[in-house]
Amino acid sequence: MKPKKSKMGVRASSISVSTSEALVVHLTIGLGLALCFSVAHNVHFINLTSHPSQVLGLIWAFQCPTVILLYSRYRKDPERCSYWKAVGRGVLGLPAGAVVNALGAIALGAPVGIQYLPKTINWSLMMSLFTIVPAASVFGSSWTDWQRIFACTKPIDPVDFMICLPAHGVVVGAWFGAWPVPLDWERPWQEWPICVSYGAIAGYLVSLVASFGFILVRQHVKGD
Amino acid sequence: MSGLSCTKLTLFTVAGVAIQLVGLSLFVFGFFPVKPTLPGHSGAESFRAPTCNSIRNESLNDLPPHHLTSLYKDLSGIPPAFDRLILMVIDGLPAEFVLGKDGEPPRKDLMEAMPYTQSLLGNGMAIGYHAKAAPPTVTMPRLKAMVSGAIGGFLDVALNFNTQAMVDDNLLGQFFKIGWKMVMLGDETWLKLFPGLFMRHDGVSSFFVKDTVQVDQNVSRHLGHELSRDDWNFLILHYLGLDHVGHTGGRNSALMAPKLTEMDEVVKMIHMTNILNQKNDQGQTLLVVVSDHGMTESGNHGGSSYEETDSLALFIGLKNDVSDYLSSTHNNVDQVDIAPTLALLLGVPIPKNNVGVLIPEIFGYLSEDKQLKALELNSWQLVRLLQAQIPGLSCRNHPCDGSGGDQESRVTKCYGSIERMCCCLYTNAALLKKSWMSKEVSRSNSRKDYTSTVAAYYEFLRTASEWLSRRATDKPVSLLTLGIAAMFLSCLILLSLLFHIYKEVYTREMQCPFDLKSIMQTWCLEETFILGVTLILIISMTSSSLVEEEQYIWHFMASTLHLLLLRKAIQSCVHSFSRGQNKTSGLQMSSICVLLISGRILRGWHQGGVNWTNLPDISKWLEKAGNDNVKSVQLVACLLVIALSLYALVLFGSNRNIVLVIGFSFLVSGLLVVQNILKHQDGMFASSSYSANTLVQITYAILGVSTSGTVIALPWLVPFSISETGLSHDVYMSSASSEVQNKSLLMKLRESLFLIGWAYISCWCLLQLLLQQTINSMPILLLHVQTLASMLYFSYSGLHHNQWVEVSAFYFLGMAGHFALGNSNSLATIDVAGAFIGISSHSTVLSGILMFIITYASPMLFILSMVMYISLKDTSYFVSPSDADLRQLLKMMIGFPCLLPLGLNSILLTAYTIVLVFMSNHLFVWSVFSPKYIYVCTTTICVYVGVSVIAATVTYAYLVLGLRRKKQYKLRHQQ
Repeated sequence: MKPKKSKMGVRASSISVSTSEALVVHLTIGLGLALCFSVAHNVHFINLTSHPSQVLGLIWAFQCPTVILLYSRYRKDPERCSYWKAVGRGVLGLPAGAVVNALGAIALGAPVGIQYLPKTINWSLMMSLFTIVPAASVFGSSWTDWQRIFACTKPIDPVDFMICLPAHGVVVGAWFGAWPVPLDWERPWQEWPICVSYGAIAGYLVSLVASFGFILVRQHVKGD
Repeated sequence: MSGLSCTKLTLFTVAGVAIQLVGLSLFVFGFFPVKPTLPGHSGAESFRAPTCNSIRNESLNDLPPHHLTSLYKDLSGIPPAFDRLILMVIDGLPAEFVLGKDGEPPRKDLMEAMPYTQSLLGNGMAIGYHAKAAPPTVTMPRLKAMVSGAIGGFLDVALNFNTQAMVDDNLLGQFFKIGWKMVMLGDETWLKLFPGLFMRHDGVSSFFVKDTVQVDQNVSRHLGHELSRDDWNFLILHYLGLDHVGHTGGRNSALMAPKLTEMDEVVKMIHMTNILNQKNDQGQTLLVVVSDHGMTESGNHGGSSYEETDSLALFIGLKNDVSDYLSSTHNNVDQVDIAPTLALLLGVPIPKNNVGVLIPEIFGYLSEDKQLKALELNSWQLVRLLQAQIPGLSCRNHPCDGSGGDQESRVTKCYGSIERMCCCLYTNAALLKKSWMSKEVSRSNSRKDYTSTVAAYYEFLRTASEWLSRRATDKPVSLLTLGIAAMFLSCLILLSLLFHIYKEVYTREMQCPFDLKSIMQTWCLEETFILGVTLILIISMTSSSLVEEEQYIWHFMASTLHLLLLRKAIQSCVHSFSRGQNKTSGLQMSSICVLLISGRILRGWHQGGVNWTNLPDISKWLEKAGNDNVKSVQLVACLLVIALSLYALVLFGSNRNIVLVIGFSFLVSGLLVVQNILKHQDGMFASSSYSANTLVQITYAILGVSTSGTVIALPWLVPFSISETGLSHDVYMSSASSEVQNKSLLMKLRESLFLIGWAYISCWCLLQLLLQQTINSMPILLLHVQTLASMLYFSYSGLHHNQWVEVSAFYFLGMAGHFALGNSNSLATIDVAGAFIGISSHSTVLSGILMFIITYASPMLFILSMVMYISLKDTSYFVSPSDADLRQLLKMMIGFPCLLPLGLNSILLTAYTIVLVFMSNHLFVWSVFSPKYIYVCTTTICVYVGVSVIAATVTYAYLVLGLRRKKQYKLRHQQ
């Protein structure tokens, strides 16, 4: 515990997050996702299986302001970096992260083709929103922080947990979601990117709960 | 640090492999029984008693059809009872639906669904049987069993994988020979089995299982028309609807009764028009209603439960009134019995490989002597088959001995081994028949003698038939258990050896002075992932669709592993940031990116698999673009492979002269390959010409000579000068000098191994460019790029105990590449055409080897590239002054590269063997799981070959260098 505490001391410049704040953030994002699905279902009468790219587009467009505005509040170095600068970094991170996600998915075997293009774009924008965008808003161009979170998976303070766990959860969920694709069940949801998106969203929700749990436990330990 | 010695390790490994091989062969012989089948077709000779010296009179078989018919009639002494046959196959109909079970009538609603058939059965105009089908209860093998009377094993499916047509003797072939005209309406399986035999046909496919109506209407739409014509002798109707009803709704589906009614209507229609109303001059028509298999409660089939094997055989239109014969408990026959019964009813010879016994009641219309004659014909045929199966079978009282008259006509009790049993029973029956015949001449025939003769014949027939059919389907449990146990044991041996090596390497690294310890403690994601992948692979083997689409799994796993390695490279970039080693991690990252990109292109090159082969892929797109484009792509790929290899050689090879010689010999063979490609610009068919063959053979020769020359000569030629070791001339007796010497030996070993490994990789790629299909040359280039890129990556990753991750990465890449070359787990994708390139005369062994080389191009490439990989790993910190001999070092060097492929493969092999045993009643066991098992076995062979090549090469180079060092040492001692 000791070395970590000393590091915390060094990183005192970032805005700290209380448990209740973390709960609010997690709840907002989780409920936002649920709202997206219910809007798609009840207003537009579509679902992920029948209109994958529309629903994915709805999700990222709907969630984009929520995520960027919420996470920008916890930007590192709040003295030198204004709130709106952090928002701008998040907005820039969205397409950049989408490219990374799309390349990753294609490397793992996602189909390439004109007919898949809108689906892939919308899917990777959604993935980017959950993986890269929060980190872009919070860390900006701090290379060591990025490496710590994504290459080494060593989250330290609550904000790190709020970024790291959901990002990893969404990727792992998408990875597992790709498994039913080659099976011959002849179900419409076995198409790219439907079951991958289901897996990603499921992984995201689970890891939201997990990250909140971690923050709660850590706060509790600290309180002792 | 008590490590296993090098010799002990080798012995244990060899023992493990040997146990595995024994277990595998035991299992294969147990699971896929081989039974010799008789080639050719039964002819006139089948109407004579089997002779010991079987002289065939083939000329009789070439007679024109009508002569043949009369010849058969004369020889057999039994006039054919019918000259037209309607075979109505109702797919998947359990006999229980028509005949009931255990003496009980069928369910009331089913009885009412088939009023006409039930009335025929009731008033003795039809006779029905429960015909027990042999597993696998799938349509194609069952149809074969019905028309040939033989029960085929899996291996005869596997060995005839390119021809679906039935080549064994069968009823349809016999009918065709006597000039019958045949018409087929229904399942197109018949068309695949008997291409060109049908005068008219209308095939329907059973693809849409949901369709239960249209599929049968397509059969019935021509029925009225066909029944009114008289230009055919044999009409096959194959209704698939009932099977589809079962698959969609199960055995008790609401659609079942209407479907049965529909079938009943068909029976009624045929019976009314063709059997009741036939004029005598038009001949006699027999209607046989059969089903190929039954179904389970849920409507599936394929296994061996009573519900699935309970199929129907219903004879309608027999001349005799059969009602008094039929008792509801005495109507069990085998499905194979249909073949000899139909053959004798229609006056053709019984098919050669038949194991069936004719059904007694059907022949009630014949006089007693003719009935005995029919039984005798069946016995003769079975005796011939027995003689083929038991080579030494010759009976003492055999009629073929020519004598027999002087023997005592004594009926003996039969006991003993199966040969003696069959022999004795057969002799008894023959004797009884003889005595009955002689009595018939002298006295009035006695009923009692006749009955006992018939009983004797049936005893022989039943015994022989049971024994023969058990031989075809029986899976000896003890053999299977022994095989699996042996494989499991060898798997355990190999894994414990692996674990041992791992522990040893780990302790050594902990002792070494470098600052590796800090990194070694970190939790390693890749290691967990590899273990997870092994588990996932084992689980995925139990799913038939994942077996069919295995290419997705390997690519997915290999790419994920590469992404994890990329992550690791970024990680180490942080660590080495201060030390200015960013160039290394940059190189690592870029080589991983190359691996990922080429892997993705390889994945897109062939769609592969079984279910979605029609999806677009790069190879289809290129082929559509035209032959010229494919050719130019091939040429570019070939030139790039040559350029890339030479570049790698010049870049890393240290000794100028040797590099020049090797590079030159390689360039010559490369140019020969290019010449080959250019020469066949105009088309594939020219390749069979003589000059082309010579060119290919010259290329083979040069490739072979330069590779083996490199391997054998290089360790002798690598400069091993005194000056290098002589630096510490005055202190060479001390331990420090020994360390220096060891280090220099290691350097030389690595240098020669690099060149040998390079020669292996390059020559293998060139050979593949020559042998593979034109479209596959680009994937070969990409695989080559992948090998070199992973070399580049792994040569920079220092840790040795992580080596097993890297060797597994090679293994994964090899398997992913295997599928990227268009292979799949179905036997249909094996490239047979390539197996004859450069072979002037037909040779099964040579073609087999070429086929193996083509099919296992990628796994072999990656296993062979392990030689180069060994040379690139820095093992110098294993050399400690205390080690007088370097055997420990040798063990460390080849431990993982040899043991890991063996261990990984043994896990997969053992797991899949167990899966296969569990799946032995699965619907797809013959179509999906068994072909996959053949591939698994061949992969095992491939791993054995590759690993022994690695071990032999490294050991040879090491021994030669050690010998040279000793010589030098002596030389200097003398000075």
